[in-house]
Amino acid sequence: MTTKSFTKDALIKAADGLRKSYRVFVPVKVGKFHEFKLFEDGDKPDFEYRKTRKSPKGLIFPQSERMLEYSIDEHKPDHHIMKESPKDYSPQVVFGIRPYDAMSFKVMDVNFDTEDYKDPWWIKRYAATTLVGICRNDLDSKMFATENFSGPYDIRGLDVALYDLGDKYIAKSLTEKGEKALAAMGGNDVSAAELAAIEKLTPDTNAPQAAPTDKIKEKVVNDLFDSTMWEDIANGCINCGACTFLCPTCWCFDIQDEIHKREGDRLRIWDSCMFPLYTLHASGHNPRGKKVQRVRNRFMHKIKYYLDKYEKGIMCVGCGRCVEACPVNIDIRRVCELMNNFTK
Amino acid sequence: MSEWEPKIVTILCNWCTYGAADLAGVNRLQYPTNFKVIRVPCTGRISPKMILAAFRSGADGVWISGCHPGDCHYIEGNFYARRRFTMLKALLKHVGIDERRLHFSWISAAEGPKFAATAKEVIASVKQAGPAHQLIKTKAQVI
Amino acid sequence: MTGYTEKIREAAKRLLTEKKVDCFIGFRKGSVPMVNYPVIVSDPAKADELIWDANCAMNLANYVIGRKDKVGILATGCVARNLVTLVQENQIKREQLYIIGLPCSGMIDKSQVIDKYGDVEIVSVIDKGDTFAVEAGDKTDVLKKADFLSRNCKICAHHNPIEYDEIIGDKVADPETYIKPEDVKKSESMSDAERWEFFEKTFSPCIRCYACRNACPMCYCPTCFVDESRPQWVGKSSDETDTLTFHFLRALHLAGRCTDCGACERACPIDIPVRYLTSRLNADAKEIYGFESGLDPKMRPLLDHYKLDDLNDFFK
Repeated sequence: MTTKSFTKDALIKAADGLRKSYRVFVPVKVGKFHEFKLFEDGDKPDFEYRKTRKSPKGLIFPQSERMLEYSIDEHKPDHHIMKESPKDYSPQVVFGIRPYDAMSFKVMDVNFDTEDYKDPWWIKRYAATTLVGICRNDLDSKMFATENFSGPYDIRGLDVALYDLGDKYIAKSLTEKGEKALAAMGGNDVSAAELAAIEKLTPDTNAPQAAPTDKIKEKVVNDLFDSTMWEDIANGCINCGACTFLCPTCWCFDIQDEIHKREGDRLRIWDSCMFPLYTLHASGHNPRGKKVQRVRNRFMHKIKYYLDKYEKGIMCVGCGRCVEACPVNIDIRRVCELMNNFTK
Repeated sequence: MSEWEPKIVTILCNWCTYGAADLAGVNRLQYPTNFKVIRVPCTGRISPKMILAAFRSGADGVWISGCHPGDCHYIEGNFYARRRFTMLKALLKHVGIDERRLHFSWISAAEGPKFAATAKEVIASVKQAGPAHQLIKTKAQVI
Repeated sequence: MTGYTEKIREAAKRLLTEKKVDCFIGFRKGSVPMVNYPVIVSDPAKADELIWDANCAMNLANYVIGRKDKVGILATGCVARNLVTLVQENQIKREQLYIIGLPCSGMIDKSQVIDKYGDVEIVSVIDKGDTFAVEAGDKTDVLKKADFLSRNCKICAHHNPIEYDEIIGDKVADPETYIKPEDVKKSESMSDAERWEFFEKTFSPCIRCYACRNACPMCYCPTCFVDESRPQWVGKSSDETDTLTFHFLRALHLAGRCTDCGACERACPIDIPVRYLTSRLNADAKEIYGFESGLDPKMRPLLDHYKLDDLNDFFK
């Protein structure tokens, strides 16, 4: 574990310096919202940002990516053979990610990297990614704590933590990847007072209120499933995908083939359990044809199935993006509460 | 070097303009051959999605033609179509697609010469607009 | 508009108790500022949950589609027009609806208020009639509603519902002439290339969550063209051409049906001004055919009727 100190200007230079050996992604204000963007000449990274509107999950799990390509032109010797598309898996740094977003990759990793199935694209990208995160006490009131995110100084998902001490950042490497990145970042030595200051910032410091989920583990799945509360939760839902597309932990995808002239692509694109097409069978039957079934599935998956299956808390890092963006105010904190207090 | 020739998708109603195209051919009227003709029962059958699909596939121009208003084989199909096309045309203009790329005409089965003349007019107009560069779907632009 | 809540509760309770309706569609106070939850109440005891303020901007007509029971519903000018259009399009029968009309002076534009405060978090927003109080950080401001009206409300020509069974509150004055949206007016003086650039720049950040489509009461097709695969009209990836095609066709499908309620723009999680396209079509429907959707229950929708002397100039 190494610690280094950076002034606020030095941090931008450090991020810039990393570009020699990494593809560096930094928070930049594009239009009205911040988003992570490849750091190029002329970009102005803004490390004082609060929250990106879209979660940075796309850096490891892009909204659309080409998995395979093929040709149906029979004049070509390799026609009708699926080939993997070449991709850039060179090392990348997400510089300035917030701890909850960093943690979301750990939450998703259990799905993409299992004993039985290993998603090659996810695994390669996640392995090539170093997460340098900013810990600052500026959470908003829509955010909440879960097992996977306790507060602004919860550094479990990060490789390097940057503690914001007002006029400077103290960087602390947490993993081997982080050690390497920090070595390339430079920085000044850390004084004993600074070290003491960051040691005081534990995962519980300035922790937001937790979503009530402590009793969900003991509920019977089928009882929750059959509950009448879902009607009330779902009534207002318009079944758009704003919540799932902004969510840092929603991992569902669809696979689509597209043919342009005689060249084909097999694409993987984000899907949302809010869409009827998500579960539509080729026969025309749709097991989740009703809105209430789809809404129930979203919350049951996040709050109950994930919890039961992986025993790693609920599938949520409390970033509050869905709470902010839902046009009809479906609040996951309220749903947690209803599920937690549910009695048959 | 050969001059650039536009690709034009032409959607013709079975009862009138398709007949006019036939008649023009039988009369040996000369007109350019940049068209891919699609025959539909009625202009009322044409969904704006089809016109968009033509542009997405790289058509430089689209030409729709059917029976004169009042002469529709299905009595009123082209009246509905006319309103639909009016709105489509307005929206295409609004997003900045050159109006010279989209043409409409009413040509009856007896108007072979009008067909040949309109064909020339459409091609001249699309030529002026130049090769299409908007809304063309290529290989998906993704990672 | 501030005194509506009590009257709405009274009406909902009365209708539900007298069994005049099976359920009542309104809003419940939301858990975050400036967003309320559309709620369907069927128990008269729960009618007290209902509220009304200038943050009830989602379109309630969305929730009546396909219902089999008798529904009480709150309707402002635009929502009432949507209900009329849904009746015209056979999505619900007029007899199934008990419409409580609400003359509306406009909704607060959530994103304008959030922009004003930047990183300072807004704690609460309280509607006070012509003004509203915003509590942000550690201070409270009283802002003029007229300065923060939703863009569609600013140009609204029909504040009062035209179709209702009972009406609450006093009528609001409508503007005397039709007001064309600013961005539509601006686009008229642009060149094709500029218009295309604007279209591309405005719509390409779209994340394809379809919130605009789903927030719209007029988008009720059992299978949207986006989900059709034979033929596939539009690809589903974030390819820019596909995204632009989606927005183009979504707007076109609303030609002569849109009431400019603004729900699409309000629902967009990344604040794309999606009304840019539908506004153009509304303006054209008005200019070319003198048509505004949902004003007359006896009339057919714009594209479902015709006149012999409709515009014919552009046909060779």
